[in-house]
Amino acid sequence: MSNEVEETMKRIQSHKGVVGTIVVNSEGIPIKTTLDNTTTVQYAGLISSLADKARSVVRDLDPSNDLTFLRIRSKKHEIMVAPDKEFILIVVQNPTD
Amino acid sequence: MHLEHIYRSNLSIEMSDRKAELERKKAKLQALREEKDRRRREKELKDVEEAATRVLGGAGDRKELDELLSSLGVAPVSDILSSISSANSLTPDHSANHTPDSSLQPNSLPNNICVGKRKIPQLSVVAVQSTNIPPKETVLYTKQTQTTSSGHERDAHATDYYDEYNLNPGLEWEDEFTGEDEEGSLPHLGGFGSKLPPGILPHGLPQVKEVQPAVTAVEQEQAKQEVKEVRELSEEEKQMIILSEDFQRFIDRAGKIVERALGESVDIYTDYAGGAGEDGMDEKSHQRISLNRWFYDERWSRNRCVTSLDWCPQYAELLLASYNNNEDSPNDPDGVALIWNTKFKKTTPEYIFHCQSAVMSATFARFHPNLILGGTYSGQIVLWDNRVQKRTPIQRTPLSANAHTHPVYCVNVVGTQNAHNLISISTDGRLCSWSLDMLSQPQETLELHRMQSKPVAVTCLDFPHSDVNNFVVGSEEGAAYSACRHGAKAGIVDTYDGHQGPVTGISVNAVQGGIDFSHLFLTSSIDWTMKLWSLKDTKPIYSFEDSSDYVLDVAWSTTNPALFAAVDCGGRLDLWNLNQDTEVPAASITVEGNPALNKVSWTPSGLHVTVGDTQGKIWVYDVADNFAHPRHDEWNKFLYTIQELRNSQVDEELEKLNLSVSSTPLSSMSSISTTPLR
Repeated sequence: MSNEVEETMKRIQSHKGVVGTIVVNSEGIPIKTTLDNTTTVQYAGLISSLADKARSVVRDLDPSNDLTFLRIRSKKHEIMVAPDKEFILIVVQNPTD
Repeated sequence: MHLEHIYRSNLSIEMSDRKAELERKKAKLQALREEKDRRRREKELKDVEEAATRVLGGAGDRKELDELLSSLGVAPVSDILSSISSANSLTPDHSANHTPDSSLQPNSLPNNICVGKRKIPQLSVVAVQSTNIPPKETVLYTKQTQTTSSGHERDAHATDYYDEYNLNPGLEWEDEFTGEDEEGSLPHLGGFGSKLPPGILPHGLPQVKEVQPAVTAVEQEQAKQEVKEVRELSEEEKQMIILSEDFQRFIDRAGKIVERALGESVDIYTDYAGGAGEDGMDEKSHQRISLNRWFYDERWSRNRCVTSLDWCPQYAELLLASYNNNEDSPNDPDGVALIWNTKFKKTTPEYIFHCQSAVMSATFARFHPNLILGGTYSGQIVLWDNRVQKRTPIQRTPLSANAHTHPVYCVNVVGTQNAHNLISISTDGRLCSWSLDMLSQPQETLELHRMQSKPVAVTCLDFPHSDVNNFVVGSEEGAAYSACRHGAKAGIVDTYDGHQGPVTGISVNAVQGGIDFSHLFLTSSIDWTMKLWSLKDTKPIYSFEDSSDYVLDVAWSTTNPALFAAVDCGGRLDLWNLNQDTEVPAASITVEGNPALNKVSWTPSGLHVTVGDTQGKIWVYDVADNFAHPRHDEWNKFLYTIQELRNSQVDEELEKLNLSVSSTPLSSMSSISTTPLR
């Protein structure tokens, strides 16, 4: 079964322009990553707190609502965040490639 | 208030002494306020007692009384004492402040009197009072815990107000006991009744305010500490998480979303004012057919021949493709079925299913959007479900003599929402109809035999639109047959002989419109031809002989009655529009790399043609709008075209006859030579 996880990760990673893929748990601790350790820890901590904040914003605006996806476009990258109850999938891509 | 009253009266006697003592007591109270709530009450009552004894005079007496009270202080008896004394004080309320005096005076020793006198009349009262107080205390504490968890943000002003109550509950009690208000008329009941509501309210709410922030602060600190502590997970822990079902489900779901998002190549920063517009679109629009994309998966579809294509009735963008085995990788499952998404630009399959035997045909279970059915080379029918995290079939039919024992090249779901069956036909000519609820055995079976009771090796099957009984099949012998499932003549009805080689594909015209053409069907064959038939005529209406290779599949357009697509072994995809031309295809394209094209299928919209090749690639071609969509007169024109074809066929036959008549010597010769054999 973990095979399928690997497969999915590989598929995403093999996508054109994808720089890195990180899976983080709800406490911001990286579980799987394709990036180096320091970058991973940095992304994991910052993005998970941003996702938490974004989720609380969405929920505060409408308590029946919830955050499902978060995209951050920057000059250099695009960060896609797919949050869930327990985990967060972070994909960093280079859209210009 | 009344306490002050008492104090004031005491001032005249021993003001400074009293004050000092009061101050001390108050300081003590401040320090131990929360813990010693009950204690304080008793102490304050003790003060009252002291005050009372003070009035009688005698510092020695007071000392004795203090000793006595301190000894009693532990037990609620002191409470009782005080309440009794206050109760006593309630009755003669209006007359004087020093009410205890009157009750105490008859006896010379106040402390003795206190005990002695109370014993007789107040025994019953004692019992009542002692039972009253403990429950009130439990109420107080349970309230505390309840509100701690539920009440999160109480209004600040409200808490301030209650806080005073909470800080000096004794004062409030005194108020009620001595009751200068209307409560005086009912000393016991009034005191008890009025005690409860304020007792609950002020004790419950203020505690919330004091406790809540402290708890959250602690929690936050704890949370912070936890984060710092569990900075990194060990490999084992990570593996545990990865293997957990939650994680798998999450990856599955989030992965799909991200892939879709990644697939979108829309540049939201397009600047139309700045950049120079690209052309090339014009060129494309002139083409009747152009490559849109292809579906290919390195792991699951490489070197696997596409054996069937089907479209999801609920989600028109989903394409189901079944694949044969990959001879290069004997370790992988033989049979694969993939669901591709034509809506999103993601290049990976939406779902992956596989099974032990090569899948020769697959279909969506039309009325169950989550179920996918496959007919395998072994003869089993397999059932997959995209709701479960499982790629292997959730159900399969048994390999028994009641069911199929030969490869199943055709599966189809026919019927209505409430009455539908899965129809499957194997190459030994056995047709089974199944109920999806019970795949353990077929509901009914039918043997398809030719006249000489030879089984029909069925290679392809098609049902006319919304027909559940009649269908057409193509066979390896080169003939096509019409057949029906039920009725007196269940089985093969008519034979349409014409092809010189096995029939590879069959398609019934399914376009709905003014005129019904569902009696028309096309067959493709290895003899390099396609033939157009009518169910009413056992001779072909027309034979398309443009191809120079095996024609492997044919499919009518879903929107245009005169349009159909055909694929051949040389990698050519032909689109024929019979209203335009019957001799040559209206549009033709050769697939890159010239792979043998095994299957062709139209999207439900009729705007795309998908082609499956033998290498495991599915090619999606766009068909030009004006070409794919029928004009309003298309049906009438097609009717006319069919008539023309028929007429020319008759003419041809007449010509043949004429020819044979003109060349009598030869034919007679041959006929002579053959007749003896008959």
